[in-house]
Amino acid sequence: MPTVVVMDVSLSMTRPVSLESSEEFQRKNLAVHGLTMLFEHMAANYRLEFTSLVAFSSLWELLVPFTRDYNTLQEALSNLEDYDKTCIESALNGVSNVVQQEWGSSCPCQVVLVTDGSLGIGKGSLRHSLQTLKQRADDKKFPLPFPFPTKMFIMCVANSEELQTTDAMDNLEELLRLSGGDGQIFTMEGQLCLKSVQAMFGRLIDQAYSPFHAVLHCGNLSSDVQVFPRPEPVVVDDEVDPMPRVVNTDLEIVGFIEVGDISSPPVTSRHLVLPIAVIKEAEDVSTGAAEEPEEEVSASQMAGKSPNFCVLLHGSLKVEGMVALVQLGPDWYGMLYSQADSKKKSNLMMSLFEPGPEPLPWLGKVAHLGPISEAAENPYGEDDSKSPFPVQPSIKRSYAQNVTVWIKASGLQTDVQKILRNARKLPEKTQTFYKELNRLRKAALAFGFRELLKGVGDLLERECTLLPDSAHPDAAFQLSHAAKQLRLASAGDSQYAAFDQNIAPMHTDFSS
Amino acid sequence: MFRPCTLMPLFLLLCTLVYPTPNRDPSTMKMFSVAHKTAFVVDHCPYMAESSRQQVECDVLTKSRAQGVIPLAPVSKSLWTCAVECSMEYCRILYDVYPLNKLINYIVSDSEFHILNTWRQEDQSTHELMSALAAVGPPNPREDPECCSVLHGLVAAVESLCKLTELQHEQRTVLMDTAERVANRGRIICLTNAKSDTHVRMLEDCIQETLMDQNKLAAGSDRLMAIQQCELVLVHIFPMGEDALVSDRPKKEISPLLTSEVHSVRAGRHLATKLNILVQQHFDLASTTITNIPMKEEQHANTSANYDVELLHHRDAHLEFFKSGDLHMAGSTSRDSGLKETVTLKWCTPRTNSVELHYCTGAYRISPTDVNSRPSSCLTNFLLNGRSVLLEQPRKSGSKVISHMLSSHGGEIFLHVLNSTRSTLEDPPSISEGCGGRVTDYRITDFGEFMRENRLTPVAETAPNPGGRFPADRAKAQLERYTRYWPMIISQTTIFNMQAVVPLANLIVKEALSEEDVLTCQKTVYNLVDMERKNDPLPISTVGSRGKGPKRDEQYRIMWNELETLVKTHAAGSERHQRVLDCIVACRSKPPEEEERKKRGRKREDREERPDKNGTKEPEDRAWQDSERLKGALEKEEQESEVIKDSPDSPEPLNKKPRLAIEEVQPSEKAKGPVSLLALWTNRITVANSRKHQEFAGRTSSVNNKAELYQHLKDDNGMDVHENGKASR
Repeated sequence: MPTVVVMDVSLSMTRPVSLESSEEFQRKNLAVHGLTMLFEHMAANYRLEFTSLVAFSSLWELLVPFTRDYNTLQEALSNLEDYDKTCIESALNGVSNVVQQEWGSSCPCQVVLVTDGSLGIGKGSLRHSLQTLKQRADDKKFPLPFPFPTKMFIMCVANSEELQTTDAMDNLEELLRLSGGDGQIFTMEGQLCLKSVQAMFGRLIDQAYSPFHAVLHCGNLSSDVQVFPRPEPVVVDDEVDPMPRVVNTDLEIVGFIEVGDISSPPVTSRHLVLPIAVIKEAEDVSTGAAEEPEEEVSASQMAGKSPNFCVLLHGSLKVEGMVALVQLGPDWYGMLYSQADSKKKSNLMMSLFEPGPEPLPWLGKVAHLGPISEAAENPYGEDDSKSPFPVQPSIKRSYAQNVTVWIKASGLQTDVQKILRNARKLPEKTQTFYKELNRLRKAALAFGFRELLKGVGDLLERECTLLPDSAHPDAAFQLSHAAKQLRLASAGDSQYAAFDQNIAPMHTDFSS
Repeated sequence: MFRPCTLMPLFLLLCTLVYPTPNRDPSTMKMFSVAHKTAFVVDHCPYMAESSRQQVECDVLTKSRAQGVIPLAPVSKSLWTCAVECSMEYCRILYDVYPLNKLINYIVSDSEFHILNTWRQEDQSTHELMSALAAVGPPNPREDPECCSVLHGLVAAVESLCKLTELQHEQRTVLMDTAERVANRGRIICLTNAKSDTHVRMLEDCIQETLMDQNKLAAGSDRLMAIQQCELVLVHIFPMGEDALVSDRPKKEISPLLTSEVHSVRAGRHLATKLNILVQQHFDLASTTITNIPMKEEQHANTSANYDVELLHHRDAHLEFFKSGDLHMAGSTSRDSGLKETVTLKWCTPRTNSVELHYCTGAYRISPTDVNSRPSSCLTNFLLNGRSVLLEQPRKSGSKVISHMLSSHGGEIFLHVLNSTRSTLEDPPSISEGCGGRVTDYRITDFGEFMRENRLTPVAETAPNPGGRFPADRAKAQLERYTRYWPMIISQTTIFNMQAVVPLANLIVKEALSEEDVLTCQKTVYNLVDMERKNDPLPISTVGSRGKGPKRDEQYRIMWNELETLVKTHAAGSERHQRVLDCIVACRSKPPEEEERKKRGRKREDREERPDKNGTKEPEDRAWQDSERLKGALEKEEQESEVIKDSPDSPEPLNKKPRLAIEEVQPSEKAKGPVSLLALWTNRITVANSRKHQEFAGRTSSVNNKAELYQHLKDDNGMDVHENGKASR
């Protein structure tokens, strides 16, 4: 989930923080301090996140496009200049543009809005924006909600008492609600100082940027992993089950399926599964600070050299062209597979299926997938020539069966012509003739279309009179037999108009 | 005429798929929205037998036959026929797109109501409904119009909406305390010929009244549920050329429980279009037209024309277009005077490879709008035959973006949404750079074999369920058994590098062993004993030790240890598993202390006997000498095996008991102290051989090597003879 940091650089951010100490801080300095802390954390623990930095006052500017280079972001922070007044609406328009240009409109994004809670004055202020929400022309719509799923974190370099003296808090809450409600407003606790800003950003990190650690199990084989990006909680149906579902920290492999059988399934999200070394000794060992960098190198080298289950699994999934079905929670599954980024680089990936007992109709219920050893005969065949998948539905779809639809006149005409074409090729086409005839009869009976039965009966009668002298005598018998049966059915006599009955070919002595 | 099933890819274009980012919208329908239950009420009163006055020419004469033949008079459908076939089309689309949990209850009304099916899933098919409709037949024009009314059906529909569906029942049971979360909403679609707006109001009032009554009734019943929301869709059908007596009216709220809308349409084509729009509205469907489908024409085999096919599916398949606002860019066109919109996607060649795993953010079932037209059936048959088609989103810029894929799974066709934006996961660190990335001797092939053995298969729900567990739990249990001892790298294992161990290794992981399996395992062990006797080399890894690696004796010791470790993890599984372990413990070469003593003894013997020996013994001797030098390396190896034991994947420490048993077998030998090589050799062969067969009953029960013959003649039952006489190998 990419992050956009939206930094308020209006004049109000330069307000000094009243402190007893000799050093003088502006709110901006505190904000920069907090963001520095966030960037440092991400560089160390969440470095695959793409982050961009937008600064805004009455205008907005993209200072750093999406990047994983946290040094660039830091550098941009230290070169911030001061501008005029706060205008959140234009900044949000900027965010919407920046994100959609890079990631399209469906990629979920996190927005970290850093401001001081003075939300502008007059036209362009947040208050004004919210008041005029309903009086907008189509081309000047308020940018929230964004077209992409959003998590909005509002970081106020101000404490809540300060915000509540004005309507700032109410306006920010309204903003959060408009964004879709997913996110949070953070304020500073107590005095405005470096410590409290650290605490505030610390809460943000815990909430949104703590790495998701899990253990991947395959029977007794296991590996500690980080799942990136963090899997988000999912609400399936807020009416029946309003509790969000969370991915377990124990990911259990259920079994394996061929790539061709799983067949490009729909997934709700994709994640990298990165093996991690859990270093327990690190806490115990208390060596001098000077030696630490060297220690780290050797520790990561050690980790590289000791066998890891993820690497084994990845290698075999790649070679065999298979995926591992993994259980994420009760009735929630996903798949692990090898994803190649380039010729050389490939990775273990996990895709999550929609929560539910049967995420993919062609696999059936996942709980009812069992080991092949239970089957009397290997369902894949001795030479892997067969497959138990896809699971067939009990009822065929309309396009897979020969349904009759006469909504367009052409549908009806085609069906009648088919019968006539076969009628002219009797007795060779006796089987097809009666098959088509019965199909038409069934539909006509269901639709209560007796006029048609009579009409086709007349047509067959006419065909009978038009038979050439060279025609096989059987043809005339079959045609008049069919015509008679249709007329009887059209009269509505239950004996002849039963749906499940078919007109059978007349038995003649000409069969040779 | 074109030949069906001759879709041909016309041109080849290389297209790369961009793997984009996740995409999900929470706007999916609730489980128990009004769409869960739909009651169709179709008027079966005498006036519905009236002609729609829309004529269909069904006798299309070909030119060659035109002379002298009087064509059949055109037929025309009755209002009833129009209503029935359009409602069936509504059902067909619904069942194609939602085979489950979107239910229809079909009711026909004349002088009384006729309920043609139930909410049960098994009753939900067009075939069932057609069969029931055939039994009802067309309306009887001679019936007394005074006693006939659509009201009977509407009342029955409200009653029916109060009845629980299987899903409602199931969810209420699951939710227990929070069963009230299961809502009861529904829709009534009434196809009738109303007399006037007043008549319509009367029908609405009547439904409202019935709703109140039924809800009161439901409040006191366990088997009924009160209706929280009911949507009435009244479709007034009138013949061509007549004026509508009823006016259209958009949805309005009659009461908090009931909303109502009125559509006034001519029978025939107009009605079909109306119901097609309604089914899309009611079930959140959208339309996609696949364009540029190349098809060969029968008469001109070398040319091919391009055709378009319209498909309906859940509208989320267009989510990306809706959101980005480029619906028009995506080629959306309005048809039928702006009533209906369709998104155009272009057929794209080449076909995609089925073993490619596309990053797909949604898959939605489709239903062709015109199911039995030639182009539709060509496309659906092509897909049902297992081929997939990528679809391209037309863009003004001319760049090619693959946005969708059509593919069938088990006889159902799905429109897959492939996202086409930049991935947030691009350029990740390669797995070779992370933990375990530097290790090069993973047992990739072996694990591949392991995965094949642990593939999944659907197990019928009716199958017996040992221990009340689901098949998936049993699959996990199998994984647990298979991985009790599973070294990940080649240099960590000996036995899994040996072809000779395969039969045992494959069998021992089974939950239950047959008597035959035990024999196979025992044979494997005897075979290993044989190998050891012949001094066959073992594929012991020399990684980590300098020189040639451990001595042969030592190699076998490591191998036996590992084998014992493997089998020990399963020994508790059953008595037969234990027997395999017993066999190994009994057969494996002597424990280290014994070995040491033997070595010392042999050293001396060697010196004495060397002149007599032929060349074949020499390699072993050299190995022996080497082993002295490599003692350090050996110890290291031992340490390593200790390390393996300590890892969490390893089994518990060895149980000493079996080893004591082996010592008991050879107490005399021990007592004698140093023995000659010959004695040692023969003894070993005897022991080895004795393991290969069950000892003759006579010999085991002999006294001073003399056994009494024909003992069984003494006691009447000769069972033991038969058992002992059987070859135990």
